Amino acid sequence: MRVALPSFTALALVYLVLPSLIIVPMSFSNQLYLTFPPPGWSTQWYGAMQTDLSWPQAAANSFLIGVPTALLSVALGTLAALAVVRGRLRFAAAASALLVAPMLLPHVIIAIGLYPVMLDLGLLRGYLGVIIGHTVVAMPLVFITVAAALRTYSESLELAAMTCGAGPWSAFRHITFPMIRMGVVVGGLLAFATSFDELMLSLFLTGPGTRTLPRLIWEQMNAYLTPTIAAVATLILGFSLLLLAVVAVLQRARPVESQAP
Amino acid sequence: MSGASRGAHLAIQGLYKRYGDVQALAPTDLDVAQGEFFALIGPSGSGKSTLLGSIAGFVPPSGGRILVGGVDVVSVPPYRRNIGMVFQNYALFPHMVVFDNIAFPLRMRKVAETEIRTRVERMLAVVRLEGMGARRTSQLSGGQQQRVALARAAVYDPPLLLMDEPLGALDKNLREEMQDEIKQFHRQIGATVLYVTHDQDEAARLSDRIAIVNHGRIVQVGAPRELYEAPCNSFVASFLGEANLFPIQSVAPAVDGTTLEIGGGMRLATTRKPPEAATGAGIMACVRPEAIGLNHRTSAAAGNTVEGIVDDAVYTAGMLRYRVRVSDSIQLTVRQPPGHAAHHAIPGERVVLSWRAEDTLLVPRE
Ligand SMILES: Nc1ncnc2c1ncn2[C@@H]1O[C@H](COP(=O)(O)OP(=O)(O)O)[C@@H](O)[C@H]1O
Ligand SMILES: [Mg+2]
Repeated sequence: MRVALPSFTALALVYLVLPSLIIVPMSFSNQLYLTFPPPGWSTQWYGAMQTDLSWPQAAANSFLIGVPTALLSVALGTLAALAVVRGRLRFAAAASALLVAPMLLPHVIIAIGLYPVMLDLGLLRGYLGVIIGHTVVAMPLVFITVAAALRTYSESLELAAMTCGAGPWSAFRHITFPMIRMGVVVGGLLAFATSFDELMLSLFLTGPGTRTLPRLIWEQMNAYLTPTIAAVATLILGFSLLLLAVVAVLQRARPVESQAP
Repeated sequence: MSGASRGAHLAIQGLYKRYGDVQALAPTDLDVAQGEFFALIGPSGSGKSTLLGSIAGFVPPSGGRILVGGVDVVSVPPYRRNIGMVFQNYALFPHMVVFDNIAFPLRMRKVAETEIRTRVERMLAVVRLEGMGARRTSQLSGGQQQRVALARAAVYDPPLLLMDEPLGALDKNLREEMQDEIKQFHRQIGATVLYVTHDQDEAARLSDRIAIVNHGRIVQVGAPRELYEAPCNSFVASFLGEANLFPIQSVAPAVDGTTLEIGGGMRLATTRKPPEAATGAGIMACVRPEAIGLNHRTSAAAGNTVEGIVDDAVYTAGMLRYRVRVSDSIQLTVRQPPGHAAHHAIPGERVVLSWRAEDTLLVPRE
């Protein structure tokens, strides 16, 4: 058992991670087409990525969509978590299930639903439309992390704050928010990562001026199979791993402690 | 602490609370005098927290009035009621040090920082935590945390202080120590205190008066001694202290009182008269364990004398507690200070129990 369990874990990790890592050597290929393993090495594709202006533009779009998505998800997800965990709702369990549902639904179904709506609203191919779409699938992550944070301490803290003279906003600012801050930050990072990696909604909702990195990769995959794609994918992989690392570190950190008077 | 703020008079009028079909609190009236220490005791689920929560403002009542110092506060939000509250789990803010916890209500009231410092230091002295202001609350013992909670609830001189089982999480020894502290604390701050507990000894030690709550109703209000000596029904008799309670099969008038038939051929004498021409069905006889003498020489004059066999004898907290079987179906509990009995009976021993006729109480069956 002692040996079997770690070895099994290691095998599972290799199985999960290796396919993603294969793009790293592919991005340093000296060939004109994606090949594995590459016969020789070069860094030319990292240069090519910068000369073709569509890559930096797609990267900028990914941030212009990802950051507002994260902020909107944080606002809505936090409010939803407060309502479900503290609100004494009659249908709290049902509300909770509905709130996480978009995360479990196939994105293509959500995309097909949102497409005509955005068309009607005139939001198709603009930033706002895809931000709204991404928020639908990113918000559940904030809801989950913040709801979990709210469940780590008793409601009596907020009741105590109120008897001490704190109105609803003061109680939130001085008590609730410091207690759930980590959940909010982690949820926000996960929401950003979700938007940053999302392809299906972006395919339906973005246009030539607003296309994101995943969409551009997808388009280029269909047209040319140059190692530039692998170079971009490697950078995205690195960035995603960095986000994950930040999340992991934050979740291990102890809850905040205040300064002495 | 300053003693400047005398406690407020608290009046509850027709207050009730329903959760759907559940009546958590039946229409209730209650008056608590200025500066009084008033305890609510009752079994779990009897509605004590509901009453306290309504006064604090977390539980919107279904109807009725709550007057604090003559002002109806029902429509006032909790953060404007200026009432202090101490919670069972302390509810200290874990992300703030001790000083900031106690300063919190003053900061919410926009008191100047210099004055906050003075008042928090004074409060720390009252609860004997001088020099602990910079500690994290997680570095404190349970008793110390509860003292911080007391300080936080009283630092703004609220005229009314609510405490919901504040010592419920502490072990017995610490609880008794903290009871003395709370008593002392009450004398210093002078606020009216409404104190919820399910521990009858705690209530009796601390309070001027006690209300016994059951099924969302206040069953009886009185000084601890009144409740013990004149319980208004069998629930109060058995809830407050120990009681030997007997169902009564029939009653017959006697020379100076009443003779009660309690089954198994046993009769009890009492100086009390049952209400109207009761058959005994709605009432019970109640004899306190301390009222019963064990092998007393004067037993003949006692009015009630029964023989029995000791089932067990236990020594607890300065008392000898016997269980004595007097018939197949009836066992009596007897409590004696150890120095008092002529000798200590042992299990299996045949003993004579006796008590005065006036110590046989009659209480409505509940
Ligand atoms: N939020 C609530 N929703 C439904 N029922 C409740 C709620 N709070 C309390 N109750 C019910 O009201 C009754 C009284 O509860 P409570 O006042 O907490 O009792 P106590 O403090 O004496 O243990 C109980 O039957 C309890 O189940
Ligand atoms: Mg309670």
